[in-house]
Amino acid sequence: MSSVAQSSTSPVADVALSRRFGSMWWIALLASGALVLLLGYTLISVALLGVGVWGVNIPFVWGFDLINYAWWIGIANGASLFAAILVLRRHDLRTSVNRFAEGVAFFAVICAGIFPIVHLGRPWLFYWTFPYPATFQVWPQFRSTLTWDFWAISTHVVVTSLLWYVGLIPDLATLRDRARRRTVKRIYGILALGWRGSVIHWAYHQRAYRLVAILVLPLILVMQSTVAFEFAVTLVPDWHETRQPLHFVATGLAQGLSIVLLVAMLLRWGLRLGRYIDEEDIDLLGRLVLASALVSGYLYLDEFISALLADGLTREATISRMTGSEAGLYWTAIVYSVVIPQLFWMKAARQSTVAGVFVGFSIGVGIWFDRFSIIVGGLQTDYLPSIERTYSPTLVETGLFLGTIGLFTALLLLFVRFLPVVSMFETRHDEHQEKSS
Amino acid sequence: MSEDAPFDLDALAARLAAEDGPRLWRSLEELADRPELRRLMEAEFPDVFEASSVDRRTLLRLMSASLALGGLAACNGGDAGSHAPLLSQSRNMPGYTPGVPVTIATSLPLNGFGRGVLVKSQEGRPIKIEGNPLHPASLGATDVFAQAEILSLYDPDRSDTPLQDGSPRRWEELTRFIRPVRNELVVGEGRGLHILMAPTSSPTLHRLISYTRELFPHAQWHVFTPIDDDARRAAVLDGFGRDLDFVYDLTQADTIVTLGGDLFAEEPGHLRYAADYQKRRRMRDRELPRLFAIETRPSLVGARADERIVLRPRDVDAFVRGLAASLEAGVAPAPDVHPSVPRLAELLRRAGPRCLVVAGREMPSEVHALALAINTRLGAFGTTIRAIEPVRPIIDGAQTLHDLAKAIEADQVSHLLVLGGNPAYTAPADLDLPSLIRRVPHSLHLGQHRDETASVCRWHVPETHPLESWGDLRAFDGTVGLRQPATMPLKPALSAEEFLGLMAGQTVDGQGLVQATWREVWGEGFEARWARSLEDGVVDGSALPSIDIAWRSDWRPEPAAPVSSGGIDVVFAPDPSVWDGSYANNGWLQELPKPLTKQVWGNAALIAPETADIFGISSGDAIDLTVEGRVIRAPVWVMPGHAPAAVTLTLGYGRQQAGRIGNQIGFDAYAVRPSRRPWIATGEIKVAGQRIPLISTQHHHALQGRDIIRVVAPGQDTPQDSDDRPSLYPEWPYEEHAWGMAIDLDACIGCNACVIACQAENNIAVVGPEEVAKGREMHWLRVDRYHSGEPADPSTYFQPVPCMHCEKAPCEVVCPVNATVHSSEGLNDMVYNRCIGTRTCSNNCPYKVRRFNFLDYQGTDYTPSADAMNPQVTVRDRGVMEKCTYCVQRIGAARAGARVEDRRLRDGEVMTACQQACPTQAIVFGDVNDPDSAVSRLKKDRRSYALLGDLNTQPRTTYLARIEIPAEEG
Repeated sequence: MSSVAQSSTSPVADVALSRRFGSMWWIALLASGALVLLLGYTLISVALLGVGVWGVNIPFVWGFDLINYAWWIGIANGASLFAAILVLRRHDLRTSVNRFAEGVAFFAVICAGIFPIVHLGRPWLFYWTFPYPATFQVWPQFRSTLTWDFWAISTHVVVTSLLWYVGLIPDLATLRDRARRRTVKRIYGILALGWRGSVIHWAYHQRAYRLVAILVLPLILVMQSTVAFEFAVTLVPDWHETRQPLHFVATGLAQGLSIVLLVAMLLRWGLRLGRYIDEEDIDLLGRLVLASALVSGYLYLDEFISALLADGLTREATISRMTGSEAGLYWTAIVYSVVIPQLFWMKAARQSTVAGVFVGFSIGVGIWFDRFSIIVGGLQTDYLPSIERTYSPTLVETGLFLGTIGLFTALLLLFVRFLPVVSMFETRHDEHQEKSS
Repeated sequence: MSEDAPFDLDALAARLAAEDGPRLWRSLEELADRPELRRLMEAEFPDVFEASSVDRRTLLRLMSASLALGGLAACNGGDAGSHAPLLSQSRNMPGYTPGVPVTIATSLPLNGFGRGVLVKSQEGRPIKIEGNPLHPASLGATDVFAQAEILSLYDPDRSDTPLQDGSPRRWEELTRFIRPVRNELVVGEGRGLHILMAPTSSPTLHRLISYTRELFPHAQWHVFTPIDDDARRAAVLDGFGRDLDFVYDLTQADTIVTLGGDLFAEEPGHLRYAADYQKRRRMRDRELPRLFAIETRPSLVGARADERIVLRPRDVDAFVRGLAASLEAGVAPAPDVHPSVPRLAELLRRAGPRCLVVAGREMPSEVHALALAINTRLGAFGTTIRAIEPVRPIIDGAQTLHDLAKAIEADQVSHLLVLGGNPAYTAPADLDLPSLIRRVPHSLHLGQHRDETASVCRWHVPETHPLESWGDLRAFDGTVGLRQPATMPLKPALSAEEFLGLMAGQTVDGQGLVQATWREVWGEGFEARWARSLEDGVVDGSALPSIDIAWRSDWRPEPAAPVSSGGIDVVFAPDPSVWDGSYANNGWLQELPKPLTKQVWGNAALIAPETADIFGISSGDAIDLTVEGRVIRAPVWVMPGHAPAAVTLTLGYGRQQAGRIGNQIGFDAYAVRPSRRPWIATGEIKVAGQRIPLISTQHHHALQGRDIIRVVAPGQDTPQDSDDRPSLYPEWPYEEHAWGMAIDLDACIGCNACVIACQAENNIAVVGPEEVAKGREMHWLRVDRYHSGEPADPSTYFQPVPCMHCEKAPCEVVCPVNATVHSSEGLNDMVYNRCIGTRTCSNNCPYKVRRFNFLDYQGTDYTPSADAMNPQVTVRDRGVMEKCTYCVQRIGAARAGARVEDRRLRDGEVMTACQQACPTQAIVFGDVNDPDSAVSRLKKDRRSYALLGDLNTQPRTTYLARIEIPAEEG
């Protein structure tokens, strides 16, 4: 290993191996930890009392549970799709953002995975969706979108974690080699799976990494579409539309990219990794975010036009979602996820940390409102006027949502503390290439 | 230890302990095979000892017998009835199979009138009430109050100990108090004794009253009910010169005019009238009858009427005067008449004797008199209306509550006996009865609850529930129904009959008292007649005969009082859910959406949309309503079709001492009810600037131009759904039965009997006001109410919506765990054990009939006693979806019965709970695979249509369009 390489990546490795990490990190971790405690509290109250502690009712049987599920899945999907494409295209940007894009995807999928289980009336029986040879010989209903969803989310967890982990292996070995304490060395050693850096290892690693990345591509379409199917397959007038999967995939991608951008900006600022995540990378990411926001905008337009062309009740339902008592959700979604990102037409905005954080955050918020608008606003108009009601989330529901955000940030904080946030081997690879050229 | 040593268990235990190490015995036989134990067995259990060589079969037989007998023994409270040996009892109970419910015919009172019911009793526990088809006031149907009596019976707040000044006393202490007081009163011939009770039709009570009167000739009787018919009585006395009751025959009527009230909900014969009206509508050979409702507050009869005429109460008198004048019913023509009068008069004249004009109980006596004059003039007596002796006879010399108040004020009352009822709560506020009662030195209240009256009387004595005591009641037409207990008394208590018996010095044995009454009447052949009457629930041929009456020829109406222009008319009405407040502690009724407002857990001041606009208020805004100087604060409910410048207050809410369910719910309308004008008063409204949240189960009432309720003209068809039903999935094959339901919207009057029957049958949870406000009520069957037309006078439609049991059920394909599946007979079954609670089935149900246990609703303060539960129906856990099953347990029971008799199920053998309760037979259930079944015939009717049929869910529940005579023909 050359001394140049050694020195070039040492700040990244030092972060993970240093004993002290600064007070900001601790404050952030404590805040996240408090939210994780809130998550625990809300999960326990749901488990003990039932989903009645939320604002759900008939007909709004789903509320924050599915809104947040769809939202986190969107983040996970967007981020992992982004990472996978970079790996496959061997794009330069991958060096700098891949690792934490994969991390973001993995942590988001963990947050998302909480909801399908706790949202059940009897969560301890969630495994009944799994086709196992039960003694009572009842199998899952394979026509149900929820069964599809079970497969989609479990595949998603496996693939996303694989993508993240496979990418980490060479760097885990580096950490093992550089660690000074024996226990730390041993932990990294076990995680590195005996990596020795031989050429054969590298060859296999590249193959595995790209293979997993390829797996991500169809999965993204499947996962978001399956979430969308949970709505599109029902008879609910506003949901029963073929455009739903496209809407979920595209807006989910925008959301994933925006969260990657948000995290990249924060890391760059917080860990002073400007050298590794350079201006050009950020600019490229900004353009991608802008492009995906434009696609979202196009889909909103498509939604509007197809609503006008739809038959009676569907049109009425969509228009009432846009203009009815829950119209605020819809317009908030458009403003935050489509209008605000237009800032990125300006190069200065793309390269500004403040603007980057702001836009990244606003798309995240916008898509959250979009899911809210679909799940709650979409149910406003149903077939029988007699059953029309309203839904308002309770504190427990809100606490659950904030709790998952806390879990996400806590995991992210632990990640930046204990694992290399920028791929060291890729950085070394880049620098070697630069030197040789 | 020698063989002859005296046997003793302690010694045995000591010996076992002294043995080396634990002595293991492999079987009871081995342990028993010791002489001392043998002797113990011989001494203690001689039977078993004799059968010492028990084989397995004998043992099992003995065990099952003892378990069964144990169950029977539990039924015997021990304080009443015989103590015949249990063994012979079980062998001598014909027709009783353990586990199979027994049906007991009895009668339930409402406002003193009887409604015949059949009580289904499971192992001695009443679990369900059905109408008695032999009883004229029921014809097999029930109203909501009869259905809900089950819950009242098991009400944990029912009083079970005598109280003296609020402290519990033993029954012996009560007798120790009563005995000297009674003796004292006997000596004084009842001077200073005042007895207050509600009017009753019970022959036994009246017999006991006359005994008591003989014993206490100077005692003063007072009769009071908050739901009084005093105005009608005054009119009858004036016009006919004597007291009478009327029985209407709606099957004969061609034109019916109702003036206020609610013929289908508040009259003593309301179930029968609703049934008869529907029977009349179904007569193919005659033109449809015309029903006109002239009313202030929208009612069920108004919703069903061909035409409603919305009038303020003060304008009704002029309207009827105009009508009477144009029919020459002894009234001088009025200068200006309502524009509808000539047309209505023409229709009435055309109907002739087949007309019927009925005035509601809130109408003043002049309106009642005018209505009777019109009926007389057109010859309706003998055709659509007949007069009978009063069903609730007047006690000679009985006075009113007013007189009681005056007597107490004059310190003439030394002893007050309140027999049933809750006058301290139901009395008009201006009498200030509670503080008057407190002034009486000796007061005793007999009542089921420690209610408002119990707390102001010195003594309170628990009263039995009508389902656990003996009695008799007359129906609206006089038919006597015996009231027999359907259970052992659940709480130690006395019935009013028993208490009066005690006072009269007779036996305190309800059965004996009732038998004595009828032994007197029937004489010879009593035993056979008694047995038959108990079995039937009605006394054969006991309906009161029509009597010939003549309208006073010189009758002239009182000159019309000048119509005052100021103020707002305040109308008081019994509540459709809690009646006069006596059902306030009944969770089923509190959570029952009121037919027209769909409000639950509370009442509201109903006002017209126009009035709301004038005051700038909307539903839920509070008003301060002043009536004769008394003020209450009440939330308003903007009621389409209500008369402007008037407000309707329903009674029965705002209870302080109803029990844990009924306390502090709604506002107390009695607080502003004037004693002189208890039904219609004048008041003032002031906007209070406060909001009082109202809870309702239906927030939208416009049809929004959708094809949900179909209406056809007489003889017209409704567009039929096309037979082309494309589907990816094959049709289900049905080899035997395929269950289906048809609901006739022309018959449905929206009375809610089906909703509460369903709740009682299927153990449906009461969730409480907070949960209903969140939209989580659990009723499997809901009655949707829609309005169309102008809010000032809309048409009102009711649509009962149970599960549709779709052939292509959208819920079935989306459940990930197959918890809702199609049965071989076409039911959409819900498998509670399999449900994990994803709720996605509800999302995909376009009818939204699925209900979810968001919390543990079966373990709350509202949960009834486990004894009230139907053991045939699973009690659902939290986190589980539930919905209408088409009463699958009844299908199962009927199928088992048919299989035992080795025959096919007959049409009509399976009745769902909703169908059975319906007074108008709007709901018909049966096998759609059998082309001759009643339901198949209805589904072939030209009025039949599927709700949301274009979704191709192919619902098994279909509707029949309502029939309306187009307006221009009128």
